[in-house]
Amino acid sequence: MLEFMDYVQAAFHAQSRWNVDNSYASLTTTAYNLLDFQIPQGLQLHVSSLSSPNFATSYTLGSRGVVDGSLSFLYSSLGLTVPSQSSDVRLGSLVRGYRHIKELQKPDELYLNEIWHAGRRVDRKDALLYGRLYLPTSTLEAMYLRRISPTRLLRLNCVSDDELPNGGSILALLRNDYAKYSTEYLYSTDSALLGIRGLYNFGYDPRNPEQQPSTRPPAHPWDHQNGRLSAGAEVYFSPMNKSGGVSCGLRFATLPIHSGFPYTMTLTVNPLMGNLSGTYSVKAGRDLSLSSRFDFNVYSYESDVVVGMELWQRKRQSPDTVWAHKLIRPDWQKPDEDVNGVLKARMDNNGKVGLLWECRAKELLVSLGAAFDMKKRDKMLGSVGLEVSYST
Amino acid sequence: MAFNFNWSPLIADTDRVREMLTSSLNKSPKPPIIVDDILVNELNLGSTPPELEILEIGDLAEDRFRGIFKMSYTGDAYLTLKTRVQANPLNTYLSTKPAFARPEPVAASSGLTIPLQITLSDIRLSGFVILVFSKTKGITLVFRNDPLESLKVSSTFDSIPFVRDYLQRTIENQLRILFMEDLPAIIHRLSLRMFNPEYQTAEAQEPRIDDTEQRARVPVDPFASPSQQAADGFPLSGNDDFNLNTPNDMYASFSQKNMLRLAALNESQRTLSLFTPSIRDAVYRAWASAADRDLATGTSTPVHRPTTLSRIQSTLGSQSGWSSAASQTSDASSHPTRPTLASLQSNPSVYSLSTNASRPRGQRKKKHRVVNLRKNKDGERDVGSDMASLSSGYTESASRSASGSAGPSISVTEPSSPPISRGREGEISTPPRSPRKKVGFQQDNTVGGDREATIRGRPPLTPHTRHNWQDEDTEKTPRASMILPDKPADEQPRPQRQELPRMHTLPSRPTLQPHPQARPSSSVRQEKGHVSRSSSEVSLRNLAPAAFNSDPGSSGGILEQAWMMKMANEIAKRVADEKTRQNVWSPEGEGEAPPAYVS
Repeated sequence: MLEFMDYVQAAFHAQSRWNVDNSYASLTTTAYNLLDFQIPQGLQLHVSSLSSPNFATSYTLGSRGVVDGSLSFLYSSLGLTVPSQSSDVRLGSLVRGYRHIKELQKPDELYLNEIWHAGRRVDRKDALLYGRLYLPTSTLEAMYLRRISPTRLLRLNCVSDDELPNGGSILALLRNDYAKYSTEYLYSTDSALLGIRGLYNFGYDPRNPEQQPSTRPPAHPWDHQNGRLSAGAEVYFSPMNKSGGVSCGLRFATLPIHSGFPYTMTLTVNPLMGNLSGTYSVKAGRDLSLSSRFDFNVYSYESDVVVGMELWQRKRQSPDTVWAHKLIRPDWQKPDEDVNGVLKARMDNNGKVGLLWECRAKELLVSLGAAFDMKKRDKMLGSVGLEVSYST
Repeated sequence: MAFNFNWSPLIADTDRVREMLTSSLNKSPKPPIIVDDILVNELNLGSTPPELEILEIGDLAEDRFRGIFKMSYTGDAYLTLKTRVQANPLNTYLSTKPAFARPEPVAASSGLTIPLQITLSDIRLSGFVILVFSKTKGITLVFRNDPLESLKVSSTFDSIPFVRDYLQRTIENQLRILFMEDLPAIIHRLSLRMFNPEYQTAEAQEPRIDDTEQRARVPVDPFASPSQQAADGFPLSGNDDFNLNTPNDMYASFSQKNMLRLAALNESQRTLSLFTPSIRDAVYRAWASAADRDLATGTSTPVHRPTTLSRIQSTLGSQSGWSSAASQTSDASSHPTRPTLASLQSNPSVYSLSTNASRPRGQRKKKHRVVNLRKNKDGERDVGSDMASLSSGYTESASRSASGSAGPSISVTEPSSPPISRGREGEISTPPRSPRKKVGFQQDNTVGGDREATIRGRPPLTPHTRHNWQDEDTEKTPRASMILPDKPADEQPRPQRQELPRMHTLPSRPTLQPHPQARPSSSVRQEKGHVSRSSSEVSLRNLAPAAFNSDPGSSGGILEQAWMMKMANEIAKRVADEKTRQNVWSPEGEGEAPPAYVS
């Protein structure tokens, strides 16, 4: 489950019309959500509030052996109008599951953002400031987000901690999204790591006015005309310790126009380390998503298989309106109704099993997870966690 | 005083050192590049011993030693480590970074783990070693300077010069830390485990399966467990033996003389007597220890055990000759394989160990032994398994050394337990093997009778006083009277075995039980156990200090084992001689009454 601050941050992205999916970093988001979901550890309590559209606070109290906590504050220059009460927040936007790829949108023209007042331009670039202080470790996190232009986003992540070399580190990330392709440049002060990431989308180019996205209905359920193929790569290099890393990847994901079951396939390759990783995720039904990942290393012959699933529990329709729902035409696009809870499960070939149940209980959002290790007969239950969130 | 520095037994017991090294290497948080446990695959201490030069001996006593050595090593020891490393630098880089400011690459950080084998060889050491030994606190060994001179690191990545250099550099640094910090801790723990029974119990709880199989087959060297059996000279024959510690403890810790003095001091305050005992004796520790020494020479024999004490004295008298002979022979025979300090070029003056130095310590020894046995009271079985595990990696050298000189002892001990041994396994009857078994150090935890054989193998060491023979007979009587010759001794229920000797022996030894009313009903075996122990204990124990004090390197226990082994061989020879002279025991004794009853 997303923390409240991440939820607000996602709202900022959405409201400032930034497509987070059009990036090489989010190439495997679907598989990540279904296979690598975070299992809470220990007991955690979150109390959050979006007190004004521009200001949010969150307090966390946790107990993993020792009691710790954090205070976080967020300021956004862009007024965020999202439901913030935990009873109102859509569970679907808090729990990340199968990720539907949207059709590419043409980036906004520059002049659309201009606001003129009395002959002066008064519009300001959207920015977001976020700070979080962990106690008792006194670790400080800070983030600065800025929409420099409709196609550009700057992100600065800073961590200050005694235990880190040089007392902390800063990560600067500049993202460009031109819809057809996107690039990212990053720099980390820690050992001066430089990185470049790029993603290219084959097919439809929204910037070209003559070209239109394919609208014809698919000829058959396996018609790949209604999907999008993307290819990307990333390169990292650290001049200080003269090490680096390379990977490239492919993704094919169906678009909403696709009439069959949505699915996403990715293949990532690390040519230096000989690592191949393939994922296949499918939304098998309205409430069920399945995903699998196969890792193989051509040098060490090490392999790994992970399978995961996600099951949504819908709210039962009230008996009063059942008759009305029956009269709705089948192809009618109903507004996505909310769900009660989500069950996520994963298992890998090493016998490690993770279970996560996230639901809304009254006014609270509850997330209960456990990790098992089937190989260890004596100590099968690895960790159990319970997270309770309340927000206004 | 002579320092006998024995290298070959040090080589043998590498299993345990390997385990401790493995656990020590995996204890501290490893760098993220190492993704698996570090496994010590192979450890060979080589055949060349380090050269030791005594620079200073600060403190020297039977149970403590402090000295400074100059050590240089150019031997052929090698060590092989196995682990798996993460070959992707980005992966290890990212794992140390805070999650919030992590670049989060998609696949560039995917891992590639490579098995890595590192061999450390050509180790050159030179440095000053400070060695502090205390019987209760174990061995503390500290390097005064960084001892590592050079070292050759060969690994799986030798073909890549960058990696090779890096490994060489890193491992040298790690080894320096190991020598300066970890090795003292390891040695300390090892020595504690050897000398202090509290630390032995944990290992005794887990006898390995293959060990039990091996134990049934292979006669294990007795000296692998010096503190349990050989060093204490106390044959572990029954659980009830441990009860005897209580009276022993009494007169070991409260010496008669001190009690008298305290009483005098006390009374001097009550009465108007003009006699005031000098306070000095009571106050200064140095004086007290001097008094202790005086006491042990015989001024205060505990009144309730006159026979035991007198026998100790007589034993000592004959032992002094033996022990010196034994030390000489051990020196002579160990020249090719065990370089003593004298054989090195450090040119030390060779002191011959005088038994006078250790004789007065008889009282103190008993105190240590008392502590020892009480800890093991809960199970003799545990002790046995521990001994086996101690000597598991040791059998090769042990059998070599034992078979060399143990031949004469066949005739001595064979008759002592013929029914049991033959009924149990056939191999015992083969002469070349039996000595090791029959001398009494055979380790077999399943057969109680074997331990009893250890008792019987010993008495010829001592002058043949009447009590001594009686002791032996108490042991023999139950079996003779039960007429279960073919049955393994451990199948007999213990209470039965304890009842029988009591019936038979009580009348024959009234002097040995000054306080019969204070003893439990099964105290006969304790009594007997004590007597036989006191005789053999003195004989072996007197020599132990030499091994302890001369301990120059890592573990006094191992040295002690070597000493004991030599001693045992010598004793076995003695016993053989005596036997041929007197022919007291003959193998006919299955149904016959033992000598004590005949006489």
